[in-house]
Amino acid sequence: MAEASSPGAPPAGASRGFGRLTIEVRRSVSPQLRIGALAGAIAIGLTISAIALVLAGVPASDLAQEFIVATLFDPTNLKAVFVQAAPLVLVGLSAAMAFRVRFWNLGIEGQMIFGGVGATAVSLAHAGPDSTRLVAMFVAAMLAGAAWAAIPAALKLLMNVNEIISTLLLNYVASDILLHLLYGVWKDQDGFPHSLKYSASELIPDILPGANGGLVIAAAAAALLVVVTARSRAGVYMRFVSASPSVAEALGVPVRPLVFSTVLLSGALAAVAGFVVASSQEGRLTQSFYQGYGVSGVLIGFLARNNPFAAAIVGVLMATLVIAGQNLQVFYGIPQSMVQLIQAVIVMCVAASDFLTVHRLHWAR
Amino acid sequence: MSLPTKAVALAAASAVAWSSVALTASALADVFKIDGPPKVAIILFGPKNDGGWSQAFEEARPELEKIIGAKIPVVEKVPEDSSAITPPAERFIQRGYNVIIGTAFGYSDTFKKLSEEHPKVAFLDASGITNGPNLESFYGRTYESQYLCGMAAAAASKTGKLGFVAANPLPVVNWTINAYEMGAKAINPDATLTVVFTGAWNDPVKERAATTALIDQGADVIGQHVDTPTPQIVAQERGVYGTGHHRDLAEFAPKATQCSSVWTWAKFLGPTLESIKAGTWAPSPYGAFPGIKQGGTDIACCGSAVSEDNKKKILAARQDIIDGKNAIFVGPLADRDGKERIAAGATLSDADLWKMDWFIPGVISQK
Repeated sequence: MAEASSPGAPPAGASRGFGRLTIEVRRSVSPQLRIGALAGAIAIGLTISAIALVLAGVPASDLAQEFIVATLFDPTNLKAVFVQAAPLVLVGLSAAMAFRVRFWNLGIEGQMIFGGVGATAVSLAHAGPDSTRLVAMFVAAMLAGAAWAAIPAALKLLMNVNEIISTLLLNYVASDILLHLLYGVWKDQDGFPHSLKYSASELIPDILPGANGGLVIAAAAAALLVVVTARSRAGVYMRFVSASPSVAEALGVPVRPLVFSTVLLSGALAAVAGFVVASSQEGRLTQSFYQGYGVSGVLIGFLARNNPFAAAIVGVLMATLVIAGQNLQVFYGIPQSMVQLIQAVIVMCVAASDFLTVHRLHWAR
Repeated sequence: MSLPTKAVALAAASAVAWSSVALTASALADVFKIDGPPKVAIILFGPKNDGGWSQAFEEARPELEKIIGAKIPVVEKVPEDSSAITPPAERFIQRGYNVIIGTAFGYSDTFKKLSEEHPKVAFLDASGITNGPNLESFYGRTYESQYLCGMAAAAASKTGKLGFVAANPLPVVNWTINAYEMGAKAINPDATLTVVFTGAWNDPVKERAATTALIDQGADVIGQHVDTPTPQIVAQERGVYGTGHHRDLAEFAPKATQCSSVWTWAKFLGPTLESIKAGTWAPSPYGAFPGIKQGGTDIACCGSAVSEDNKKKILAARQDIIDGKNAIFVGPLADRDGKERIAAGATLSDADLWKMDWFIPGVISQK
């Protein structure tokens, strides 16, 4: 698209009778424009979705009620949104951090698995006193996730192995390890393939009424990363690497240590998401607790343009879409595929709005 | 605002009262009653047209709607995560639904929690493992139907080498495999059963690879306990026979499929809903475990490769099972390592069935 904006380039959509449309890259994008474009995109996405839903037989008068009011203004549903949001925000942050140093981490699910495995190992070993058990599980989860992420990071830095392939394939290895544990040494006493239930001291409590502890962890992680990316030396270095690793290297940025440690951070964040799902939702390690979060994380990181604050917002938004979609299914018999269509429409509108904020469309006669 | 609060307080109070009743009195028979007529909702694990497990419930729905005289809404593709199961269930309950039917093992913990939070709502969970005063898990005695399909498989086989594509080595799958081999031996005492576990309930790619490998090794009938019809489709492509699971898979492989173990959920859930409606529902503390007689499972049999003579034998064996003359897992029975598992004259208990981690002689599998 950059070519189209350069002087003398053939105009996009040129037509003699109607003037011509040119696309220019904006020199700077104000936060107001960004927020405005995001809000506009969501509005357009919701409008398209509303039309599709009315065509599918949902009474138009019920739409706002079911989609927005019932989802966000009902305490039970709002709680469900927050429960769903906590791991989504964390995997979104995980993706955003890795993408910041141009490491395409598609291994979020495997790192989540290792987070759950690390936490469960502490639970099964009854490591330490009850009062510090949760903290121990949290730390063990982060270490396990970071260790698992270290494999593709090392492979990339030492042997130039493409991380898109290695992280993706390591997910399958991680899932086989999980099943091996759950069908083997960690099988429940009743013979079923899930771990023993966590004890009460191993469950993340609801710290604030209505807001689960997982959400508090996710919010804290997001806040911390906002500070790190905006204020710290590492944050500045990340911006260099994001722009151009080779130039960053030439400027004396320690690119390789930075990439390595950021990937470990990304793995640890995904692992915390796994810990949150296992300890605040399932209450034990199950076979499928991580499923679907990998794609969601990448999507959130992408839509948030690798910004941790935006990732938190987009994570909550995605959770709202999931819960609102379920409401539609429950009461109008709308098939799940229709719900996915709506979610895709909104996501695509947001992605497209990004193009329009970064570029300026100029109509010249 | 005060009315709902009061209702919640009352519900909480009655929950406390109930649990104390449960602690003091053992007679729980008619403690549970729903308010008003049953309003039923189903939460499906898979898509409603998955061709197998989830579709079997979808196909039972019209009959159940007739029984309760109301529409039954469905939510599909709800994975086995608490964060995914809780919102639709809560939503239904908010709108006055008082019978919630779930369809997955992984719903067990969440349904238990929901049933404690909503003591006036009846919960049923297919293939679940939790139970309570208002929660009953249920599963069919698939070893009965798969025993009969094993007979059909041996009847259709020329080589006596049978193959089986299985999901995970769980008791419910293990008893299917053992019963299948026992049924096969009833027709051909030399029949063997080679089993491949795919490690997934729904993975057509692995199922295709497993089926192909079994046929390459000489198996000429392919049984299955996975959720897709892939093994039957591959069997038909390769010109051998097979037996299906969940539904009549002749729909997908009319030439190959000789017998299918099918779910007959309307036959079980119908009377269950009637009893909930009548206020006589007493969920079993061990869950419901209906066989062919009570309507959990049955067979669609037989294809053209099974001779009339053998078909008669299979239908006679089915009648014996219904009449209680053949409990399948009766002693003496040793596992393939020679260890006695059922003593002579004894029948395997349900508790031991749910722990089955052994295979009978003739079953060949990775360990």
